[in-house]
Amino acid sequence: MSLIASNLSFKPGNEWHLDNVCFEMSKGQIYTILGRTLAGKTTLLKTLAGLISPDEGTLTLDDRDFGSIPVWKREVAMVYQQFINYPHLSVYENVAFPLKQRRMQSDQIKARVMKALQQVGLDGFENRKIQALSGGQQQRVALARSLVKEASVILLDEPLVNLDYKLREQLREEFRNIFSSEASKDSILIYSSTDPVEAMQLGGQILVMDEGRILQQGTSKEVYENPNCTKVAQITNDPAMNLFEGRVDNGRIILSSEIDLELPQHCKGLATGSYIFGMRAAGITLNSTGFPFSVELSEISGSETFLHIRHEMIGVVGLLDSVQNFNTGEVVRVQFDTLQLYVFDQNEQLVSSPYRGLE
Amino acid sequence: MNFKHKYLFLLPGLLVLLAILIFPIGFTVRLSLSSWDSFYPALDFIGIENYVRLFTDDARFWEAFGRLSLLSVTTVFLQYVIGFGLALIVWKEIAFQRFFRVLFLIPMMTTPVIMTVIWRTFFHESLGPVNDILSHFNVAPLWLSSETLSKFTVMIVEVWQWTPFMFLLLLAGLLSLPKEPFLAASIDGAGPIRTFFYVTFPLMAPISIGAIIIRLIEASKIMDTVYVLTSGGPGTATETSSFYIFIKGLREFQFGYSAALSLTYLIIMIISFTIIAKLLVKLMVRGN
Amino acid sequence: MRVLYTSLKYLAVVLWSIFVIAPFLWAVSTSFKDFQSVTNGATYIPWVDFEPNLEGWRALWKSPAQGGVDIVEPFFNSVFVTASGSLISIILGTLAAYALSRFTFKAGFIRNGDITFFFISQRIMPPVVLAIPFFIMLGKFSLLDTLAGLIIVYIVLLMPIAVWIMVDFFNKVPVEIDETALIDGCNPLQVFYKVVLPNSIPGIIVAGMFCMIFGWTDFFFSFILTFTEVQLLPVAIVALNSSITPWWSLSAAALVSVAPLVLVAFIVERYLSKGNLSGALK
Repeated sequence: MSLIASNLSFKPGNEWHLDNVCFEMSKGQIYTILGRTLAGKTTLLKTLAGLISPDEGTLTLDDRDFGSIPVWKREVAMVYQQFINYPHLSVYENVAFPLKQRRMQSDQIKARVMKALQQVGLDGFENRKIQALSGGQQQRVALARSLVKEASVILLDEPLVNLDYKLREQLREEFRNIFSSEASKDSILIYSSTDPVEAMQLGGQILVMDEGRILQQGTSKEVYENPNCTKVAQITNDPAMNLFEGRVDNGRIILSSEIDLELPQHCKGLATGSYIFGMRAAGITLNSTGFPFSVELSEISGSETFLHIRHEMIGVVGLLDSVQNFNTGEVVRVQFDTLQLYVFDQNEQLVSSPYRGLE
Repeated sequence: MNFKHKYLFLLPGLLVLLAILIFPIGFTVRLSLSSWDSFYPALDFIGIENYVRLFTDDARFWEAFGRLSLLSVTTVFLQYVIGFGLALIVWKEIAFQRFFRVLFLIPMMTTPVIMTVIWRTFFHESLGPVNDILSHFNVAPLWLSSETLSKFTVMIVEVWQWTPFMFLLLLAGLLSLPKEPFLAASIDGAGPIRTFFYVTFPLMAPISIGAIIIRLIEASKIMDTVYVLTSGGPGTATETSSFYIFIKGLREFQFGYSAALSLTYLIIMIISFTIIAKLLVKLMVRGN
Repeated sequence: MRVLYTSLKYLAVVLWSIFVIAPFLWAVSTSFKDFQSVTNGATYIPWVDFEPNLEGWRALWKSPAQGGVDIVEPFFNSVFVTASGSLISIILGTLAAYALSRFTFKAGFIRNGDITFFFISQRIMPPVVLAIPFFIMLGKFSLLDTLAGLIIVYIVLLMPIAVWIMVDFFNKVPVEIDETALIDGCNPLQVFYKVVLPNSIPGIIVAGMFCMIFGWTDFFFSFILTFTEVQLLPVAIVALNSSITPWWSLSAAALVSVAPLVLVAFIVERYLSKGNLSGALK
């Protein structure tokens, strides 16, 4: 039982919104489409829903041609980032709407709606007006409406992005529980997000998307450990993975006239030449015997500090475990943890990762 | 979204409008090339003779056009200034706010010709209240039969009738403005006059331009008021383009010639509105 | 300074209010006069300046042969033509506006914007330009001097207003609501009547009010295209203007014809103050 997309392409103007998108998804799993804004995530979801007809490519679900079914017969569900519900209907009527559209019997509708409302924690709200609900509650109604259909494909387009931080955390947790429960065993769940942390937390598979293309598909562990190119490395990390150019020569990594590092074990076989090196912010820490960098900016986030520092051409972001204040221009000494070093070739493809070693 | 159903939505309205309009417009074009009149009611073909006559030998048409320009530009300007002023006043807290809002809207809801019938009695030179009051000052202006004053009377009636429409569009615009710029202005210590010129007016520029254009378009059709109030008179003192075409076409039954007048008038209107719209955009948007 | 500003504000409002009300007060006063009290010069207050009587109001029900005005039939003709013209315009205009706001149309160089402009630009057309061809066209189909003929003309007059207001209205409603309804199993027609229509009532009411205003107050077309069989209210009243001037019945008739739409002013104001109108008018 699976949804297969092959060669989906869509180019309404001069830019590709979808560029040769291929994937295979199977039931009972969560797939997160991770990409920056305008990467083509919404276009992809709308194409799956049938709201956009791609210029090329096919979609099949369980060996049936899915792409030629009009939206209103396609049996998908979708939740938008804006809180979209029917403003003229009550909460109950909103959730019942898709079932009434299928001409289901009213007692059956009632049972299903009540169950869905219970799942999203809105029992007791049946007769409320949509406008009388908070943003989080409105989004729960939208979620209930997508659950109640028991659709074979459920699409969630950055559903939490317009909620405040605390509510987002809480709802994300609830989403994961709902979707890992019995209810969605027969559904393919596709969730789009710009937030790598969110993608990792949801578990399941990640599809990294950029400029209309799928760059990498894999489990969250795989994508995290072995991003197949520099773009994926940047998109799947927050802050983006630091990238800097350098040379490998004589068993050492030469980044500048003053900075050279020893080749770590997982990079030992690297041929002499130029590479792009990658390191997450966590791999760059302060150490009194390290290299001199000057501070450009320090950002405090919760109990951590992001330090934007520069040495000649090398500008990187380091992560400190504590809250510290720095002055702009202040010189700090920095150490690179080479055990966490990624190496990409000149074509930006992964050559060596700390988890897999040399390709 | 793109579905075949889209034509089911668009076509009924579009086809009905086209069906009603294609014949009149096509026929007017053809008619303008004929000499159809009451003596010779047939669709002959005389080339551009009507147009030649209109451009070389019809001072009355161009005078009517000049008069129309004067009337419409002046009245729309007055409507804009007064309408904006009133909208600004009842936009903010004021006693009986909603009463005044309703009252200021009422004239546009009334039928212009019917109110003009009333205005005619109002400005009646011997029996009307205006001259009755003015008689205490020993003056008796000829509101309807003086060449200069009759134009002024037409303007008063037009301003009374249509300032509400300007008021409505501008008040709706004011009520839809975001609050933040005003907050920022008051934090910066700007008084009401500075706030108006640096915040309100620039924010209202697009709405103002739209409202002025809409009113100019409607004002360019002035004719009901003139017909009832003065019948274009005295002489041709208040004759507008529409009224002149009406006289030629439906009083003298020079169908062919009036068709040529109509089309020329329409084309001049379209060109003028395009230019005026561009000018207004330049003037009001650059102003901030 | 503040006091001066406030007093100027109230002065302006009061002066303009007097200007707005003056013709109505005059008409009310005149409607209770008779030949004597009109021709003696301007008088204002009943019982003080003149002896009021109901002659002017009674004339509204009398036939012209009895010296009356008989605006009853023209009144209902006007109601019928305005209501039918507005209804057809709103139905066709709302459908077209929905299509223009939601779907993409391409035909040669023509795009959605051009079609919208075509609809709205009909308002630029001066009535006098259309009058002669309409006169001839309706004559060909034996529709001169009929209610049906007038309704056809009113559609041209009113549909542009409906399209103008409704396109703006639909452009402000998130398209995602329509998409959600499609996903929930509605075809585009069901989307329109099950979801879009129930949520468009404020826009439709505003568009309907404007159609009624412009339909009810139109004079020129009914003046040109009807003669004896069918008469609309403005024509019937203006006809009095040219005959020997019975100011009292004229004023009474004018007040009757103006009254229904004055009620619309209250509805417009309600929408305006609730902020629903600014969405629909821009």
